[in-house]
Order: sequence, then structure tokens, then C-alpha cells
Amino acid sequence: MLFVKYFFSLIIIFTPLNLKADEVNDWLNKEINTIISAYQNNNLTNENKFLLIEKTINNNFAGSGIAKFVAGKSWNGATKDTKLEYINLFKRHLALNIASMMRGYSDQNYELVNSRYDKKNKVTLIDMEIFSETGSIQVTWRVKKSKERYFVIDLIVADISLVVTKRSEFNSMLKNTNYNLQDFNIKLLEQNNSSYQKLIN
Amino acid sequence: MNIFKSIFLAFIILLFSLNVFASASDDVKTDSDDFETTVYEDEVYDPFEGVNRAIFSFNNSADKVVLEPIAKGYKKLPPPIQSGVGNFINNLKLPLAAVNQLLQGQGKNAMESTGRFLVNSTIGIFGLIDVADDIGLNQKEEDFGQTLATWGVGDGFYIVLPLFGPSNLRDTTGMLMTMMTDPINAYAASQGEAWAIPMRTAANAIDQRSQIIDEVNALRNNSVDYYAAVRSSYYQNRKAAIMNTDDDVLTPLPLISIEFE
Repeated sequence: MLFVKYFFSLIIIFTPLNLKADEVNDWLNKEINTIISAYQNNNLTNENKFLLIEKTINNNFAGSGIAKFVAGKSWNGATKDTKLEYINLFKRHLALNIASMMRGYSDQNYELVNSRYDKKNKVTLIDMEIFSETGSIQVTWRVKKSKERYFVIDLIVADISLVVTKRSEFNSMLKNTNYNLQDFNIKLLEQNNSSYQKLIN
Repeated sequence: MNIFKSIFLAFIILLFSLNVFASASDDVKTDSDDFETTVYEDEVYDPFEGVNRAIFSFNNSADKVVLEPIAKGYKKLPPPIQSGVGNFINNLKLPLAAVNQLLQGQGKNAMESTGRFLVNSTIGIFGLIDVADDIGLNQKEEDFGQTLATWGVGDGFYIVLPLFGPSNLRDTTGMLMTMMTDPINAYAASQGEAWAIPMRTAANAIDQRSQIIDEVNALRNNSVDYYAAVRSSYYQNRKAAIMNTDDDVLTPLPLISIEFE
């Protein structure tokens, strides 16, 4: 009888965790499918494919928060208008980066193989394995819940964090503009235009 | 040959002596007050950035003109051929990986690498088929750069090597040690087949490059500063390799605010 009690206690304890893991996995799976489907849809033009993917990424990534983090110390000295312009440019930049990377994976199979919850940082880590004919690559999604919604806060490919790399990259450029975000916005706009042309052509 | 060896050893000693000062360079950190979000190093010590950028630019051009087209062609080969070549190359790395695992105190991994080498070299037909993976002997790469790091040697300054790409003082020292001590290369040279050494290096470069065509293009086409992006990627990747930890444990967690999404 004691065993039965323990058994049910364990079931009760672990069930919410499992539900949570399933919920976040299902959400991520759905959003990744939207991106992959956009690439596989031959009825869409390249411009429309990107717009659909950009919308999905903007809805599901913590774009503003990542933008602020990546801007580093240039953030505090910028005006409100500059910050808003930068956030918009960054969101497009993020979408271009992810769309460009996911395009390479669009003809491959993938599977969400593992997910775990980091209690300390309140972050869920979801491993996705992308299979090619000669091997596989692992991508880890870092997901955070806020206001009953999930947001992707980082993407790690082969031990390399997209957000950390972007921050290092932006910091290197910002040094040249004396950490002036307004000047940097011009460079970011130029890069976005160049990336966009490469992606749609 | 003896003169060459002496110069080579002198060079290694010089690199080691420079590594003694490497720990000081590792103290370069960003100020925690610079950021509202989190605290960790996102600066690497790159005192020769100008020269490095010039070499990087040359490497990038060489990659676009030579390596990437060859890698793309290689990628069109039937998958079993690609897997066979990749397996063969990886198998040749195992003896030195086992040595480095021993030097790092990873006895179990050293045993596994040795077992893997024996199984794949025999049942796996000279390493062409990865039979060992199926019996649980997984590939775990270790090199002298990682061994030196485990022994406490700091990164040293960042270097971009012509054709070989991103590195740092410690990992360059490790690479030279690998070149000097690799038993497969030594055997090839002793048999008068030294031509096989650069061939092996080239084959490895093509195989490795073929596996990251999309990732490199995504980074190259979408970076405001491609040089800085590669430099950061290199350090993150090496740090993970040295620590032998899961990426999610090691990669610093950005404390992203999502209140105003």
C-alpha cells in the first residue's frame, strides 16, 4: 500500500513537468515547421517566403531583448528613437540570419530529441537533431516563458551561441563608431540590405 | 634535416615561452558595468588584429575560390563515399587522440579511442566503415591544444594562420606538436611517402568544410563583421572542446529581458 502511495506521489510530482516539456516542444515544433514549410512551398516567391519566415521569427524570438543584450554598452547612451530604429533593424537582421541558416536545413529531416528545464535560469533547452545523408548536426534552442507565452532567447549550433557571437561581432563594429548606436544603425541597414539580396536571389 | 629539426624545436620552445605570458592576456575582460544584462568575457586578446584581418581576408578569398567549390563538389559524391572518406580520416586521428586523452587523465576515453581504432582499422576495413560507433565506442576528439589547456596553459593571443584559419598561441603550439608527433605522418615519412601528409591535411580540410557549407555561408552573408564573428565562434567552440561539457552547460546564458516584446 505504501508503495502505491509513493508511486502515485511520484506520478503527481512529475506529470506537470512532462506536460510542460510536451507543451514547449509542440510549440517549437510547430514554429520550425512553419519556417521549413515556407521554404518547401514552391508557390511562394523568395520574397514572400522570407516575409513569412520573418513574421514567424519576430513572433517567437525575444528580438527586442536580444537586440538590447547584443548592443552592450552602446545601449545606455542612445536616444529612444535610435533604440527603436536599432531594434527594428536588429529584428530584421536576426530574421535574415536564421532564415539563411534554416534554408540550408530545409531539405533535411529533423527531430526534437531532448528537452530539459534549467530551474536556476528558468530556461528550457531543446535539442534538435538535423539529419543529412552523411551525418547529423545538433542545434539547441533556449526558450523562456513570459506572460504565458514562449520566446526563443538563443540558438546554439555546434557549441556556438548565435547571441554571443552577434554580441561579439557588434561590439567589434561598435568600437569603430565609439559605441554610437546611431552610426551603427547605418551599417546595420546596409548589411541587412546586402543579406536580403543574397537570400532572395 | 637536423637543422630543420633544431629550428623547429627552437620555435616550439619560443612558443612555449610566450605561452608563459599568455595568462596575463587572458585577464582581458569587459567591465560588468558596461552591460545591464550579464557578466562574462566577450573580448578576446587580439593585439595583432590588423595583420590577422589581412590574413583572414586572404583565407576568405582562398576559401571562396578553392576550398568551398571543392567542398561543394565533394558533397555531390554519393553519401557512402563521403562517409567512407570521413571515417577513414577520423580513424587516422585516433592514435594521437588516445595519447592526448591519456595526457589529460582520461583513461577510459583513451581505452575507448584505442578500441575504436583497432575495431575500425580491422573490421571496419582500414577505417572506412565506422563499426565502433555501433558498439558504443564513440568518437571523442582531443588534441595537444586541449591538453595544454587542461594543464593550465592560457589561450595567448589570437592568431589567424594562413590557410589553417583561426587559432591562438596555445592551439598553434598544439598544432605544431601534432605535426611533429603524429605516428601516421611519421610512418608515412619513414616509408618515403611524405607526399601523403599534405594530401591527408587537404582531404581533412575538404571533408570538414563540406560539413559546414550552409553554416559558413549563413555567417559570411549575414555578418556586419565576419572576422569578429569567426573569432567569437572559434573561441566558443574551442572552449566547449576543452571543457568536454555539454554546450548548454558551458555557453554563457544571456539574460535576455522579454518584458517588452
